[in-house]
Amino acid sequence: MSRDGYTGFSRGEARTRTATSLSFETMGPLRRLAKLPWGFILLIIAMALTGVAMLYSSAYTNPAEHNLWYLQLTRFGISFVMMLLLAMMPLSWWRTLALPAYAFTVLLLVLVEVMGVTGGGAQRWLQIGPVAVQPSEFAKLATTMALAWYYDRVITPTSGRILIHLGAVGIMLIPAALIFKQPDFGTTLALIASAGVVIFLAGLSMRVILVGILAGIAAVPGIYFILADYQRERVDTFLAQLSGEATNALGESYQIEQGLIAIGGGGVNGKGFLQGIQSQQDYVPEQHTDFILTVIGEEFGFLGTTALLIGFAVILGWSFYSASQSHSWFGRLASAGAAATVAFYIVFNVGMVIGLLPVVGMPLPLISYGGTAMLTTMACFGLILSAHMHRDEKLSSTGII
Amino acid sequence: MSRNRSIEDDFTRRMVLAASAGGVVWAGLVARLFQLQVLEREKYQAAAEDNHIKLALAPPQRGRILDRFGKPLASHRRAGRVSIVPEQTRDPAGTLAQVAALIDLPDERVERLAGEITASRRRNAGFVPVVVANELTYEDFARMNVHAAEIPGVQVEMALTRSYPRGRDFAHVLGYVARASQDDLERLSVGMEGDEAKRLEKLFRHPDMRTGRQGMERFAEEYLRGKPGFRKLVTNAHGRVIEEIPDDRFAPVPGKDLYITIDSDLQRATIERFGEESGAAVMIDIETGDVLAMVSTPAFDPNDFVNGISGTAYAELRDNPQSPLYPRAHGGVYPPGSTFKMVVATAALESGAVKPTDRVTCNGYYHFGNRTWHCWKKGGHGTMDMHNGIKHSCDVYFYDIARRTGVEAIAATARKFGFGEAWTLGMTGARGGLVPDPEWKQRAVGEPWYEGETLNFGIGQGQLGVTPLQLALMTARIASEGRSLKPHLVGLGPQSDEDGILDQPLDKDIINIMKSGMYGVTSEAGGTAYRSGDLGLGGPRIAGKSGTAQVRRITMAERDKGIRKGLNIERELRDHALFVAYAPADNPKYACAIVVEHGESGSGAAAPLARDILRFAIENDSGRKPAYGKTASVTPPGQGEPT
Repeated sequence: MSRDGYTGFSRGEARTRTATSLSFETMGPLRRLAKLPWGFILLIIAMALTGVAMLYSSAYTNPAEHNLWYLQLTRFGISFVMMLLLAMMPLSWWRTLALPAYAFTVLLLVLVEVMGVTGGGAQRWLQIGPVAVQPSEFAKLATTMALAWYYDRVITPTSGRILIHLGAVGIMLIPAALIFKQPDFGTTLALIASAGVVIFLAGLSMRVILVGILAGIAAVPGIYFILADYQRERVDTFLAQLSGEATNALGESYQIEQGLIAIGGGGVNGKGFLQGIQSQQDYVPEQHTDFILTVIGEEFGFLGTTALLIGFAVILGWSFYSASQSHSWFGRLASAGAAATVAFYIVFNVGMVIGLLPVVGMPLPLISYGGTAMLTTMACFGLILSAHMHRDEKLSSTGII
Repeated sequence: MSRNRSIEDDFTRRMVLAASAGGVVWAGLVARLFQLQVLEREKYQAAAEDNHIKLALAPPQRGRILDRFGKPLASHRRAGRVSIVPEQTRDPAGTLAQVAALIDLPDERVERLAGEITASRRRNAGFVPVVVANELTYEDFARMNVHAAEIPGVQVEMALTRSYPRGRDFAHVLGYVARASQDDLERLSVGMEGDEAKRLEKLFRHPDMRTGRQGMERFAEEYLRGKPGFRKLVTNAHGRVIEEIPDDRFAPVPGKDLYITIDSDLQRATIERFGEESGAAVMIDIETGDVLAMVSTPAFDPNDFVNGISGTAYAELRDNPQSPLYPRAHGGVYPPGSTFKMVVATAALESGAVKPTDRVTCNGYYHFGNRTWHCWKKGGHGTMDMHNGIKHSCDVYFYDIARRTGVEAIAATARKFGFGEAWTLGMTGARGGLVPDPEWKQRAVGEPWYEGETLNFGIGQGQLGVTPLQLALMTARIASEGRSLKPHLVGLGPQSDEDGILDQPLDKDIINIMKSGMYGVTSEAGGTAYRSGDLGLGGPRIAGKSGTAQVRRITMAERDKGIRKGLNIERELRDHALFVAYAPADNPKYACAIVVEHGESGSGAAAPLARDILRFAIENDSGRKPAYGKTASVTPPGQGEPT
């Protein structure tokens, strides 16, 4: 991140560089490309290629899945180009798009409710032509953008009141409620969590947050009872597993157990690429999607999983740092919110696979097989990059709307 | 500006806070991974090992059964097997059709197999081969082998199958093996603890396992079975075998080879000599008690039972009028007829009621009470002493001495000869027959014994029932002049403890009178089987006694008309022909008993047969030292080559 030469500048000094930043808009596309933080981008590429390699391994002994790695590579390629285009998009465009994107996503969520495709016990998918999309994935980013847009409009030097946050909570709750109804508890939580980060960063009083968290904890038993049966079973499975009891509701305790055996069995150094017994012999269900970490854990050991987490930490850390460098509230909050979205993907997924959280059905960004999550993740990075490139813009608050 | 400033600062502070929280969460994830992959890795590595290494039961190879000279009677045969691996074929019906074009597969079997394949796929067990055909002929096997590569999912392999190279020859002695049924399992697990019984059941569920259902196979089950081992298999989550790890520690222990005392060549010669006739023959080495031949013919082919016999094939065997399933030699109960006369004579002398020189005049009939008993010879034999009574088989003589001896004494002596006892010798289906006496009759029929019945008893008719094996034992006992005799059929292997020993004292002088009578039958002019007395070896003769067992009562009308014998009555109603004999007459070595069912005449049908098989035994020295004898070298169990 120091390659751009911004590291270490105080905010005051950075502000003096506005002219440089403005000139980014006037650069030709190639020069713009060259200006991108390529260290960050190369790290993303490296992570995604790791994912492709893991997919190759996970399907190595299964002829029916032999082409997964190739499909994933193609998806990544497309998403990558999309990310570069998004990265070079002016931040004001992002802000302009925020509300339509949000509205569109909410519309899609309503459509899912009305005419969605049921899969895995919940109505999450929308069939558009040949593609099945999961609008709840997009909703995470769209909500983040909408919140950033909202705060960008309402935050003024004199607007430190609680009331302005009510609007933000409303923006968050509409998609959250729709997703919860699908039902998709994991995504709901992830959306609320990343939106919560945005609201927190926007300056919601710590006291209110504390009260909110306490209320949330108090609501846990209540939530448990409004969960769908399969969700309740997942929680039961998780609790049973914590207390060392073996249940096999939905076969998930088997899945978790086999996943733990794969990861733990990998030991410190792992068994080597394509050498994982659990991974190669189909012991872990869903190992190419949500449980891809088990393949990494078994074949590359503690060193591999730690390296993966460090890689993510660097990506997210840089994203956060970049967000903090932004001069516009939209840039700051959208960028941080996007980073938080990716971060919660990772926490939920890893936490689930290593038995710290109930099974929530969340992919590992950049690594797991899956198109919608890949698109969402890369769009997040596109937003982060765009905010980074335009960090010195103050974005006139008298925007389009 | 200061207000703005504070919002900016607050934002920065909150960013740092959020990033720190993220850092803490990350540290938590890494800590958990550290716990799993570093601290507890051994636990999970062991679990992974448990997961994918499966110990598959490896059935032991069943011990062989060999004849006294080590010729295999029950061994193993490589049989070609075609199976289909359901998951490797896209179109089971098409695959089956392709296989059916190469080998003969009935339509209904194809249909059933298609169902099995679909079911196995549905169960997610598509990697377990479904057996299509078990016993391929060499041509079919070769053809399948050539074409298997073109038909996806088809496996052609060789499996070891129990095989009876002598086919029918030993059906009733060896019995056969079959897949263990629920009944078999219950029988085999008697007295077992829960776990042991479960292990046994699991073992017998293995497709290659068979259990002895009948005969020696059943009797020596545990001796032959061996101990199962394990194959260490690496499997995937669905149980599909990825590879096998060789490990001798888990290898199955093959069952031990069982030697029986029979000379399979003598057995074969005997069966051939019977030709189309049905009947039984037993030959015993009188010195050792070794059973050298144990023939019941016709018989079934035990090979048909190994893979389960079809209902129609079994019904055919069951309904065959010649009863091939019936173990005549040790389970067939016949009236001994005149072959029993030595027992009556021995009883008469032992009881002291009769002296050998006592004379009885035979006019062809014998009056007792208000009934008349007939001698087989119309017109009678004239005056008879014991020697002549036996030699001519004079019924009147035996009516008379039986009456004087009494039923109890005859029954007691009969038992000393081994009658009334079931000699299983390790086989199944042995029966004891019946030695009747007043006590039995009171108990079974609820009537007192009538003395007239003693007369019938005296000529081996009436309620008396004996097996050919018992007759052979009687003859051996006589031939050896009353020495004790322990018959056995198992040479090397577990001995049957159900069988007794013939060692109740018999007076040597009395027995010698019997021998002389039997010699007279075959070797003195006028003896009933004089024509069959010469062994054809340039001197040695046989000694024997014929018998005819009535299958039904002769009516007075028939007797008057003279229709007693011959081809003018139904075969099923004709008398059984019996002959007991030993040879050589002057220095006995072998004793035998023959029953030719519906053979009419003991001397006519059975005696030549007895003579021929005795000659075969003498010529081939059937009783010579067996392969399992102490000084002879015995192939260590289980190391013999499967044939």
